Amino acid sequence: MRRRAADALCVFLIHLARLRTEAGPFVLAALGFPAVMYMFASAVGDQAGSGTSDPQHRLRFLAGSIVFSLSMTAVSWLGYLLLENRFTGRLRLFATLPLAPSSYVLGIIVFALAQSAIGTITLLVAARLLGVHTALALPLGAVQLATVIVLTVLCVSGIAVIIAARARSFSEGSLLTDALGAGLVFLAPIYFPPDAMPRALQLASTVLPTTYAAHAVRTALAGSSQIGADVLVLSGMAMVALGVGFHVMRWRED
Amino acid sequence: MTAPVRPVPETTVRVRGLVKRYKDGTVANRGIDLDVFRGDIVAILGPNGAGKTTFLRQVTTELRPTSGGIAVFDVDAVRHPQRAKRLMGIAPQEAGLFESLTVLQHLELFARLKGMSKHDAVNAAADVAEELGLTGQVHKRVATLSGGQQRRILIGVALLGRPPLLVLDEPTTGLDPASRVAVWGVLRRAAAHGASVIFSTHYMEEAERLSDRIAIISAGTVVACGTSGDLIAQLKDSYRLSYQDASDPARPWRVCRYATFAEACAAIQHQNLSEYSLARASLEDAYFELAGHPFPLDHSTEALQ
Repeated sequence: MRRRAADALCVFLIHLARLRTEAGPFVLAALGFPAVMYMFASAVGDQAGSGTSDPQHRLRFLAGSIVFSLSMTAVSWLGYLLLENRFTGRLRLFATLPLAPSSYVLGIIVFALAQSAIGTITLLVAARLLGVHTALALPLGAVQLATVIVLTVLCVSGIAVIIAARARSFSEGSLLTDALGAGLVFLAPIYFPPDAMPRALQLASTVLPTTYAAHAVRTALAGSSQIGADVLVLSGMAMVALGVGFHVMRWRED
Repeated sequence: MTAPVRPVPETTVRVRGLVKRYKDGTVANRGIDLDVFRGDIVAILGPNGAGKTTFLRQVTTELRPTSGGIAVFDVDAVRHPQRAKRLMGIAPQEAGLFESLTVLQHLELFARLKGMSKHDAVNAAADVAEELGLTGQVHKRVATLSGGQQRRILIGVALLGRPPLLVLDEPTTGLDPASRVAVWGVLRRAAAHGASVIFSTHYMEEAERLSDRIAIISAGTVVACGTSGDLIAQLKDSYRLSYQDASDPARPWRVCRYATFAEACAAIQHQNLSEYSLARASLEDAYFELAGHPFPLDHSTEALQ
């Protein structure tokens, strides 16, 4: 167990070095796009008479942007890294070591968690500076929010691992992760209430982790602790996604 | 008085009946048997597509054999790949490095992934960098290095921790002559300290100068294994005559082979050759003969009448 934790830490450090040299795209994906989406949603909301003047709507847009950031970092960006590792031979270098594939996946997920933490905290601070007030109860509310973030990242990064392990080519994999990263945001009611969506999308959104993540984040930011059902669903989804992710990530080919 | 008993060399790798059939039906290895001993350097030679890389990938546990067995220091590498890999240093033919890391970071982090403490990893990384002539580059990012220097880092990762078995797939491809000789030195020193080395190559000179034994793989089987001398001795015709056809100087030099020196001299006299070269058969001759590979197109092989 200790060995695995040490190995996962090394995998994390290897990728962290990369984050330091490629901070620009990370800032764009984890902060830039979600911030722009916040402004876009606010503008559309203002047109429809439900804009940023309403604190509830502000919280919805903030929660939506946090989930958008998670989706960009833990699906699109992480998926890209995993695909690159696989199709440029870096995964083969890991495979030469007495390293368990699960340690590699664990290190990657820790990396995704670190990115998500940076993205979420920065968005919360930026929102505060922009005058968005949350009713996050400390310390319980923060713990609840962190729990939701961790479960969401585990769930969506598990999906990224599955795509990266199974894709037949780099282009196929990156197309899938990009589509999924966007789909998880735009097919789920994260910026707007479910009633505003067409019936078919409402049904589709019930199987998307981002639906539950957005609801739970919004609830936590509003100062409520009623996130049990969302946490339960996210836990189940995370277990399935990670279970399959760990299973499909193998060093040895048949 | 009894004859001195020669010590039986310790077998470090034992491969038996190794078969690899891919899902599309391609059979890459058709029953390979090979023993590697402690301190032994074994070169794997063979034409492209002969099954060398498939064989090495099975030894390194990257590829599951269809049938057959591989024992690495008595560890069943097919059933216990992680345990077997703890005993190996592996340099694959194609593997990517992390371009944002420096050379030292690369070596240190991969040393730690091999189970070393932070302190040991720092020392091991410095040692390996020095051994491979990378000391001047240790603080440079991998992205800024040449292809040959990056190749040396891959070899360095394999050397970390001084594993008792090194498996390297075409380790010197892309290296300049000086770097190649330096890598040979590193591998020889590893073998002198008791490590077994298996490597594939397309360079006859490398196989001849570096290895103790050479295994020639052709069409998925080991068609010959032994020292360079053993392989050459298997040739029926061990003298090679290259000559210029005086009647047609525009043609490329012709090559033919003879069983004895006297036969070759007789042919020279008979043809009244003025421009020729006569040499003992080389490993290259043995390779082409044993691997059943067509002779290079820039020569024509004809028997002198």
